[in-house]
Amino acid sequence: MNCSEAGNLVAAYADRELDGLREHAVEKHLRRCATCAAKQQDVFSLRARLRAEVPYFPAPPVLRERVRALLANAHDVAPARRPERDRWHWLTGGALAGCTATMLAWVIGTAVIDLRANEDVALEAVATHVRATLSNRQIEVASSDQHTVKPWLSARLDYSPPVQDLTDEGFALSGGRLDTLDKQRVATLVYRYRQHTIDVFVRPELAHAPSASRTVRGFNVAHATGSSMDWLAVSDVSADVLTAFVQRLARANAAP
Amino acid sequence: MSEHTRFEELVLPHLDAGYNLARWLTRNVNDAEDVVQDACVRALKYVGTLRDGDARPWFLTIVRHAFYDWCKRNRPAEIVGDDGTAIDMAADDLAMDPERLALQSSESRVLADAVAALPLVFREVLILRELEELSYKEIARIADIPIGTVMSRLARARGLLQRSPLLHAAR
Repeated sequence: MNCSEAGNLVAAYADRELDGLREHAVEKHLRRCATCAAKQQDVFSLRARLRAEVPYFPAPPVLRERVRALLANAHDVAPARRPERDRWHWLTGGALAGCTATMLAWVIGTAVIDLRANEDVALEAVATHVRATLSNRQIEVASSDQHTVKPWLSARLDYSPPVQDLTDEGFALSGGRLDTLDKQRVATLVYRYRQHTIDVFVRPELAHAPSASRTVRGFNVAHATGSSMDWLAVSDVSADVLTAFVQRLARANAAP
Repeated sequence: MSEHTRFEELVLPHLDAGYNLARWLTRNVNDAEDVVQDACVRALKYVGTLRDGDARPWFLTIVRHAFYDWCKRNRPAEIVGDDGTAIDMAADDLAMDPERLALQSSESRVLADAVAALPLVFREVLILRELEELSYKEIARIADIPIGTVMSRLARARGLLQRSPLLHAAR
């Protein structure tokens, strides 16, 4: 690969958007060509400056209020259509009720079986993350000090989760809370990364590890094991950042 | 799940992302709020069509549409065709406006201002890539352009920022 071939691919390489083959070719070229390597460095340093200096604007409270009001109004409109359905309910009476009960039992039954069969902790973790975000119950012990968060969690669990503040690397510890995951009480560490919240569920290592990284409802879920713990991170940050972060947590704690 | 619950569970967590995009597109607090509110009305209406797993790009697509509709009504001049030269001129005019330059105080204001001064088509891909950290494929879907165009616009956006007179004036 020469410079003119690499030219347009260098930025895509820096964005980690190339497929394996082309990524390898660009990588080889960058090792030999100072001009193209400098171009890649330009993308990296611009990115670092953008992320450090350009503000990310979170939705102001007044907008959240407006959206809440919007939802409340939408909710008020719904019952207007109900009378018609009610009459139908009366006509069909008990038969329909019996039918509904059977259906409901079946639906719940299958849901439980499905959940067991999949052991899909990722779904549960995302649901927990969303619930905590919406109810503002994100943090039960608010502290950026690992020596405050760790004892708080250890006192409430039958294990002691390793806790680390990684502010220097952009991931600021903002606290912890307790959650239930897979019918087990688990420690949840809450980190801030730029404007994003990352929940990390920490529990003792399992006999069989759950599924690897995936996306659920637009949230990324990343998994790692290390330091005899099982680490499951949920957030809306990009998958590669989240994966690197959760692996970093698991690895760093493995070190003596 | 009702539409209402779906909206709360799938869309609401991405309200910050939607507002940040609208804020950078409109460059104004009140206008951004109006755009996001309009986007929420639309999202609530169509949330039934949302598949699990891509709520954030889906909502950002709606925010962008709401912005362009708003822009047509309020700032039609900003929507220029894809004519490269016209856009370049617009960028440099904004960037070299002496009044803006005089307002510069800190280094970080400078870069933020240079981003705000980027022409719309370049600004939106840059925000989606560098602040929202979306992939080329997701950006292509949101902005409704081919991936090749995402790459060329991103390259232009970065080039304009690196060569921005705003940044060099501060040095």
